Amino acid sequence: METRSFADYLRTLDDAALISLFSHRPDLVTPVPPDIASLAVRATSAPSLARAIDALTAWQYQVLEACAVSAEPFTEKNIASLTDKAAIFVLPGLIERGLIYTGKDGLYLPTTVREVLGNDCAGLGPQSMAKLNLKKLDEAPPAAKKALDAMVWGPPRGTIADVKKPGAGVAWLLENDFVVVANSHTVLMPREVAIYLRGGKIHKELFTKAPVLVGDKRDSKSVQLAAIANISTFLRWTEEILNFWAQEPADALRSGGLGVRDLKIISTHLGVDANCAAFVAELSYLAGLLTIDPDDRILPTSQFDIWLTQAPSARWQSLVAPWLITSRVSGLVGKEESKNVAPLGPELDRVAAAPLRKLTLRLLQESEGTAPQFASLLALAQWSTPAKRSGGIPSDYVLWTLREAEWLGLTGQGAISKYATALLAGEDLDVIDQDLPKPVDHILIQSDHTAIAPGPLEHEIAQELAILAEIESRGGATVYRFSEATIRRGLDHGRTGDEIKAFLKKTSKTPMPQPLEYLIADVAKKHGKLRVGNTSAFIRCEDSALIAQIINDKRLDILSLRQIAPEVLICQHDAADAMATLRSFGYLPAGEDSQGALLSGPRIQRAKSKARPPRIIGEFDRPDELQLEGALRALRTGEKSSHRQSTLRNIAANALGSLPRTTANETLDILVNYLQNQPATSLSIGYADNNGLVSHRIIDPLKLSAGSLIARDHATGEVQTFRIARITGVAAI
Amino acid sequence: MSEGPLIVQSDKTLLLDIDHPMSTECRRAIAPFAELERSPEHIHTYRLTNLGLWNARAAGHDAELVIDTLIKYSRYAVPHSLLVDVAETMSRYGRLRLEADPVHGLILITTDVGVLEEVIRAKKIAPLLGVRIDPETIAVHPSQRGAIKQSLLRLGWPAEDFAGYVDGQAHEINLKQNDWKIRPYQELAAEGFWHGGSGVVVLPCGAGKTIVGAAAMAHAKATTLILVTNTVAARQWRDELLRRTTLNEDEIGEYSGAKKEIRPVTIATYQVMTKKKNGVYSHLDLFDTHDWGLIIYDEVHLLPAPIFRFTADIQSRRRLGLTATLVREDGMEGEVFSLIGPKRFDVPWKEIEAQGYIAPAECIEVRVNLTEAERLSYATAEPEERYRYCATTRTKRDVVEELVGLHAGEQILVIGQYIDQLDDLSETLGVPVIKGETPIKERERLFAAFRTGEITCLVVSKVANFSIDLPEATIAIQVSGAFGSRQEEAQRLGRIVRPKADGRGAKFYSVVSRDTIDQDFAQNRQRFLAEQGYSYRIIDADDVFQGKI
Repeated sequence: METRSFADYLRTLDDAALISLFSHRPDLVTPVPPDIASLAVRATSAPSLARAIDALTAWQYQVLEACAVSAEPFTEKNIASLTDKAAIFVLPGLIERGLIYTGKDGLYLPTTVREVLGNDCAGLGPQSMAKLNLKKLDEAPPAAKKALDAMVWGPPRGTIADVKKPGAGVAWLLENDFVVVANSHTVLMPREVAIYLRGGKIHKELFTKAPVLVGDKRDSKSVQLAAIANISTFLRWTEEILNFWAQEPADALRSGGLGVRDLKIISTHLGVDANCAAFVAELSYLAGLLTIDPDDRILPTSQFDIWLTQAPSARWQSLVAPWLITSRVSGLVGKEESKNVAPLGPELDRVAAAPLRKLTLRLLQESEGTAPQFASLLALAQWSTPAKRSGGIPSDYVLWTLREAEWLGLTGQGAISKYATALLAGEDLDVIDQDLPKPVDHILIQSDHTAIAPGPLEHEIAQELAILAEIESRGGATVYRFSEATIRRGLDHGRTGDEIKAFLKKTSKTPMPQPLEYLIADVAKKHGKLRVGNTSAFIRCEDSALIAQIINDKRLDILSLRQIAPEVLICQHDAADAMATLRSFGYLPAGEDSQGALLSGPRIQRAKSKARPPRIIGEFDRPDELQLEGALRALRTGEKSSHRQSTLRNIAANALGSLPRTTANETLDILVNYLQNQPATSLSIGYADNNGLVSHRIIDPLKLSAGSLIARDHATGEVQTFRIARITGVAAI
Repeated sequence: MSEGPLIVQSDKTLLLDIDHPMSTECRRAIAPFAELERSPEHIHTYRLTNLGLWNARAAGHDAELVIDTLIKYSRYAVPHSLLVDVAETMSRYGRLRLEADPVHGLILITTDVGVLEEVIRAKKIAPLLGVRIDPETIAVHPSQRGAIKQSLLRLGWPAEDFAGYVDGQAHEINLKQNDWKIRPYQELAAEGFWHGGSGVVVLPCGAGKTIVGAAAMAHAKATTLILVTNTVAARQWRDELLRRTTLNEDEIGEYSGAKKEIRPVTIATYQVMTKKKNGVYSHLDLFDTHDWGLIIYDEVHLLPAPIFRFTADIQSRRRLGLTATLVREDGMEGEVFSLIGPKRFDVPWKEIEAQGYIAPAECIEVRVNLTEAERLSYATAEPEERYRYCATTRTKRDVVEELVGLHAGEQILVIGQYIDQLDDLSETLGVPVIKGETPIKERERLFAAFRTGEITCLVVSKVANFSIDLPEATIAIQVSGAFGSRQEEAQRLGRIVRPKADGRGAKFYSVVSRDTIDQDFAQNRQRFLAEQGYSYRIIDADDVFQGKI
């Protein structure tokens, strides 16, 4: 029987077939292999095959299993009979992917595929060595039947007390080779027996068809409405979180990421749960709108300022685009079993995340107009990519993807929105800008000190109001509340009372209530009455004429004095300098301490800093005998060991080639001889370790006992026991 | 995008644009499930609360109706998460039911065993329960009906109470509408209460809460216990009942410090109920001595703590709470709702005013400048004395005198907190003063004289904050108050908004010392009324002296 190699098969493929192979398995061309032989090696390497197999649907996977348990070469017919007639439509797909290939007289499977699929593929054991009379299975005694039933659907192993004394049923099976002995406690069911018992099939249940997606029909209009509400909400969240951190930056944890407390703060600020807040923060991070600066503070970037000026569609796109491809899973935050996972932290990456997200969105797209039920969507996702090897699709990830898609407005009421469809198709997103509520340019001020913006405010107005008032309620509209504190904040930002009034009058559609006008006037009147600043020294004098003279004295300009009251000057220089300068120009200042007490001029000065005597540099004292001896000992030991190590290694290297292979008896003789006649000689031995690897050791033999050599190993300097049987050879150095 | 009047916010507040043509229709639609929070001039704020949604369920509205209403009137798309939340919250209602069982007495029964398992494990609930009858049923100690309802509410699994009410001893009571007619909103309020079983009716001062009480009694037709704030209020209630209902004098008893009559309709004061004798609230037995069919709590926002506790024990009797201002600075509003019952009726003050049932009122804050000397002694006063100092400054007296002069001929009330100040004002103005130590007889005489117009000006302390019916008073001058109490301000305004015979408007002056904590407190006090749409105007004391008011 001639078996063509997989490489030979690849060589026969035309361009179209190769391109189809590459499009299914892009890892084969990154980087492009130099020739077909390397392509074949790569295509049959376990990681690449694993990837390809993980991308199969449940039904394709079952067919591949059938192929793997069939004897090569196999035919479409074989496979169809093992599974279902529909399998013949699946085989070409597997061939395209290079998971099976056509040989001269049928289909073959690259050997590695079997390895990747694992032992007990489809719960089947190895092929039987003996000739089996399968018909006889039908007459199996009841005890044997019971044993068969336990093993038929895999795993194909059964544990029994002792194969030497099997029960009647197992004994009958052993006798007929329907099970074979694996080890003293285990029997195996051969593949043929299992297939016969499974009725000539392999699988208990065939997943030929994708499960039907069950969901609730959604009216397209309300889907779009809900989606656009979600989009505008998400943009608002992002803006708010970043504005919040711009004022009060959060501190990143030492291990990276956002702490639980800061997460709580922003989630309360947004009025959403922690998961949602974490997601918003993560996406801002991915979109480059915020960063962790060198001082470990979490701050918005200048990209955020650019982002703010963009159209809503562009803003949305720059948040959604990274979400589609990121491997970070913000849903992990706050999960019971992963308490230490922090948003913006280093532990959020999961390989499966992006493909799963893609798959989920594809399934949502295929069911446009319905909001799929979670269980149904999960079943379909699991059919589409069973990912058997990696333990299946984590249902949480699907749940999180759906949740996040809803937050982002990719879905509305659980059904895919037209905005998501446009985004995924790479179309223009202007439609978002058209569908979002039009920004309003006015507010309604009411007499209970609130103002209401009955829609999304124009950016400039919103920013100004955010300074002048506290936001009380968010959503389609915004409710602002004015208070003394917020008006003061406005004044602190450099607005005057009149400017604030003028702005509110201009922006408000309703007349400004009188109490608010009074409030602004009251606060403005009081604001800034007290002034606070930093200064280094002051000059005061009860005679304001003298103060006037000083401030007008040109020679004192170097002190850069400033008059803050008729009797007080301040200066940015140190008090001592100011006094010295004043003295040098003929004034007679006296020092004053912070309590106002007069300081008598310090004639004798004292340093303000702590004493730090310099280190002594000079000859060393002669160390005593004990210290010297100790030093010498340490030196010698070090030298000896390093010298011995290097020389011995040379010797060993030389001896390597010439080391005679001695039998155990010879070894023993040589060792006995050396121990008796030249006890202090170092010998070179080859010694096999537990894994059979032979290493060279230089040893000083000490004695022989009970089949072992006790010797000092030069490499470790320790006395070790070497078993004679493991010594591959011995020679003198 | 629809152009509806309602904006649904993500924090579950609903903003209603009342200038919108559909606003009235929308207000009616959302009233059953959303609670009115503020009603200033342009935009009213409602809030969706768990309690409100459950009450809507209890009244037979389902989640679908709520969601449809929100979507129908909403100007912008309603956040999906909010709709989901509404549906989920409402679905929690009714999984547990309290029922009266002929064998086991009061039982808690469930349609969802999981929920029952959850609640019986709750620490607060376990001691209230009796034996487990079957997986879906558990007995409840009958005396704990109120406590268990309260605890279940806190757990988020409100129990639907099917155990019903005791009818109490029947007593024929009817409204006697010969020379007057019950107003539509009063009828709605009484009916809303009756169908709900128990609850609170919120109506502005002067809008006729007594009549709502009388109408509720006419529904119940049973013996009634009425709890009021003080003796004067008790007598007013009696007079009103005599006038509005078929009850005669022998059927109405007064239970106060002075008299201890127990009649088919008994009016008791909070004060006597909470009087302790040898450390025991001896008068609380009044609740039990008679088989009351209805208990009315007047001014329920003042409900004292001992009555709170006792009310929890009488959940099988119908309870009606009446108030104008359900704001408590101690934050106990929630307790009132869970013990007396949910809010059954609430209507913005301005709406009643628009219907002409309360007089339009103008609120004016008069800012008084302290003299230099006063400023200085204010600045150096001890912190706890500061409010008293700035609230009672001499300068205020001149302003009050001037205001009284400007409104000569009208019925004027001067209201204050500090007795010294009131005595001083009474002397300056040459008018009588009513304060805590004034005997009831004297109070009644003075109020009667005021009503007839014999006296045109009265100085009153906080004893006149509530329940005192002075229909012809048109001017109130407030000189000091209980710090920042919002409800006090509203109650005081309430004294003058009873509709006047000649349709005149009322004026409420609040005299405030500029740049002191008096001004800060005034701002807090005004909040409730401002949220009800009363716009304060600020004027200067000098304007008063120049007659520019």
